[in-house]
Amino acid sequence: MDPVKIIIDGQEVTTTKGKTVIQAAAEVGVAIPHYCYHPKLSIAGNCRMCLVEIEKMPKLQIACNTQVAEGMGILTQSPKVLAVRKAVLEFLLINHPVDCPICDQAGECWLQDYYMQHDRQESRFEVGKVHDRKRTIFGPNVVFDGERCIKCTRCVRFCQEITKTDELTVVNRSDHSTIDLFPGATLDNPLSANVVDICPVGALTDRDFRFKVRVWYLQKTPSICPGCSTGCNISAETYQNRIARFKPRVNEAVNSHWLCDEGRYCFHDLAGGARLTTPMIRQEGGLVPATWEAALQAVFSGLGSAPPLAGILSGRNTNEEAYLFAKLVKKISAKHALEVFYQERELTPVQKILMSPDRSPNFRGARDMGVSSNGGYEALLAELIAGSFVGAYVVGEDLIATAAQPDKVRAALQNLSFLVVQDTRITETSKLAHVVLPATHFGEKEGTYTNRKGRVQKLNAAVIPPKGARQDSEIFMQLLDLAGERNGDANPAEIFRSLAREIASYRELDFEAIGDQGIEVGAAVAERHDR
Amino acid sequence: MEKILLRNIGIADSHTLDTYRSRGGYASWQKVVGSMKPEQLIEEVKASGLRGRGGAGFPTGMKWSFVPKDNPKPKYLVCNADESEPGTFKDRLLIEEDPHAIIEGTLIGAYAIQSHTAFIYVRGELAFGATRLERAVEEAYQAGYIGKNIFGSSYDLDVIVHRGAGAYICGEETALLSSLEGGRGWPKVKPPFPATHGLFGCPTVVNNVETLAALPWILDRGAAAYSALGTEKSKGTKLFSVSGHIARPGVYELEMGYPFKKFLEEDCGGVSNGRKLKGVIPGGGSMPVLLPDEIDKVNLDYESVQAAGSLLGSGGVIVMDESTCMVRAALNLARFFAHESCGQCSPCREGCHWMEKILHRIEYGQGEQGDLDLILNIAGNIAGNTICPFGDAAAWPPGAFIRKFRGEFEAHVAEKRCTVGH
Repeated sequence: MDPVKIIIDGQEVTTTKGKTVIQAAAEVGVAIPHYCYHPKLSIAGNCRMCLVEIEKMPKLQIACNTQVAEGMGILTQSPKVLAVRKAVLEFLLINHPVDCPICDQAGECWLQDYYMQHDRQESRFEVGKVHDRKRTIFGPNVVFDGERCIKCTRCVRFCQEITKTDELTVVNRSDHSTIDLFPGATLDNPLSANVVDICPVGALTDRDFRFKVRVWYLQKTPSICPGCSTGCNISAETYQNRIARFKPRVNEAVNSHWLCDEGRYCFHDLAGGARLTTPMIRQEGGLVPATWEAALQAVFSGLGSAPPLAGILSGRNTNEEAYLFAKLVKKISAKHALEVFYQERELTPVQKILMSPDRSPNFRGARDMGVSSNGGYEALLAELIAGSFVGAYVVGEDLIATAAQPDKVRAALQNLSFLVVQDTRITETSKLAHVVLPATHFGEKEGTYTNRKGRVQKLNAAVIPPKGARQDSEIFMQLLDLAGERNGDANPAEIFRSLAREIASYRELDFEAIGDQGIEVGAAVAERHDR
Repeated sequence: MEKILLRNIGIADSHTLDTYRSRGGYASWQKVVGSMKPEQLIEEVKASGLRGRGGAGFPTGMKWSFVPKDNPKPKYLVCNADESEPGTFKDRLLIEEDPHAIIEGTLIGAYAIQSHTAFIYVRGELAFGATRLERAVEEAYQAGYIGKNIFGSSYDLDVIVHRGAGAYICGEETALLSSLEGGRGWPKVKPPFPATHGLFGCPTVVNNVETLAALPWILDRGAAAYSALGTEKSKGTKLFSVSGHIARPGVYELEMGYPFKKFLEEDCGGVSNGRKLKGVIPGGGSMPVLLPDEIDKVNLDYESVQAAGSLLGSGGVIVMDESTCMVRAALNLARFFAHESCGQCSPCREGCHWMEKILHRIEYGQGEQGDLDLILNIAGNIAGNTICPFGDAAAWPPGAFIRKFRGEFEAHVAEKRCTVGH
């Protein structure tokens, strides 16, 4: 890493050899406008928006493809540079429909932003715009508007270089150049919707999200994707207390700039549907609504008198919840087995770029917290089917719907003398419960997830739970109260501090230090899980 | 003057190996392989003063010397036979009538950079010429001039003729390489340059047909004989293809530095039909037009034409007499460039059509005040800001036409009609 001294707009800066001007400038907070440049894609150099003046060079140079050199003088605000930005923006806009009012990109469009920052002139173009295809379906998640496209080729390069699936290309020539699918291809790779994120304009939009919300109404909460144990960093974006979309949040240690389609849209399943808002207790003729006090009391006494007890936690519960759950089950029943829900499936090579083979984002964290005893979830399920348990406490998972042999699981659950299901919705499993407790989903809670590789990351509440439902951690603490162990109204930070005192590999970790990029748990933990 | 490039043109069956050999063909190639080291060859060509005839006029020997010798990757020599510049048809004559001269030059160039695979990228529309090139390559293989252990040496070389699919931009060397690689004919962002990262990421030199065709003569007669011709900085001879309102259009070989006016009036017989000269484009459609009084002092060499405000370019001379509407001429060229822009980078993709559309409305009586300055402004915003020189090529002609014939353009706008005729 040889240091190189350069002068950007008169300011002397030390950077490293091999960096490009756009990178070196960004490091010191000088943002050079650009469209085609993307840090994770090859250099295309086609938008010409990043042209800057380099002393002793007769022509302006593109900052994305110019490597720094010792003593290089770079001007990003000279009259020549400002003039060319204006010119390039004008070129990009002459054939653009300027249909911002009906464009989903409006509000997060780089044409709008740069126009306001660098252009602000009236159109001089009065000779008839070039027309292109509108609303062309590229794939299940992506729709294309050719007239808004600036041909930066980010989407083409993404499919060539990141997924290597090559669905897209540029066709035709000159101002009729446009993006298209190769004949017979569909943009349906497992990461397809990332092209929407990297499209700087309104050419590629998300079929799931578009026309739902104007983006300036969205509230953005940094969080973690609950789709699998990769733990991709997301921005959970909500409108009127509903999740409207997930967007990837950059974390080079986890997901870089990307998010898989399955994860991106998983909130529909996980957070959608009619919610449970009242606890229910089974009586003659079925489940009937009950007060929280009565339900919690029923759970406490029912589980205590039904050993051996199986405790099954969802892989979407946080570390804090897992810690309390393990404590609770151990306290209630001396004879118990604990597991976190975990199933694997085969992944294709493109899926493997980002996805993990499970749907349990925090299976590793839950095991770290002690929700683990009999060699995994499938082994525990086999014991359940074999009739080894009398009682069961199931949190956040529909054991029947997810089972390979649903009938056997159903029969086993029916045979239990006491079943508690704590979930957000009525499921096949909860229909069999003796007590049902309405709880919260991933988007409503604060806490931490530990991903497959052992990175502890922060989950933040993006929406408010419905009235009547209680946080899983709150329910566990109230049951622990009944069992004589008082936790008060501990918040996730306080619970984390407790678990960090008890769990060896989390001992060094500080809740506040997790931040929005996460921190690694100890190497000892990693070793235990890789075994 | 002894002809160097056109030495075989007009001879019966000049395109066949037998005829070419009977006139001394492939002797230079034998001499190079048999007795010259690549460095010697490069020095010899440097000494000859030969400069690239594709338009840019870059010294050929120096271009070869940029290829790194210690790079373990294969090296490629590519003959650029994608001649498409408006008004230019000099390479076509050589391709069709003297293909072996091009092949011998290609072999010599390949040897200079120690390439073992050379390509001849020929414009797709030159179907007849491509057939002749392919046949000539076949003959040269059979004669042992191409292939394994050439002339009993340890040097192997293959030559592949590749037909383009009809895009002007593929004459730009990096677009040519993209096309040869099987991709879209898109110019590559530079750096890196082809000398180090060319075809398939390997060191590559692209030379024009006319440049390579001069090599057999240079190696036969020696660098000094070649550099004795021409001017101080523009050595040897150059082909000019003359078209338009001229009595004797065609391809001419001239010693560099030949007076332009003399060439047009004496060699080419002057403007046809006794009309007066209005303007001349000296170096292919992308070069700025010159006025009659501007060419009086111009000689046909790189420096003199440049001093007059244009460029020698490809040597495609387009002659326009007084009956020519200069708005229409500018529109014609603008339409060509708008159509041929590859569409890769924003200024060229969007700007070329914009200029064409404005020129169109001026010519057809719908021009508006300010249109001329708008075109000049657009041209200025394109030139110098694009990935490849196409942007400059497209921006220069409208600018030159408007600056030199401003009165005629203004009359079109003011009178809302074409003021020249039709």
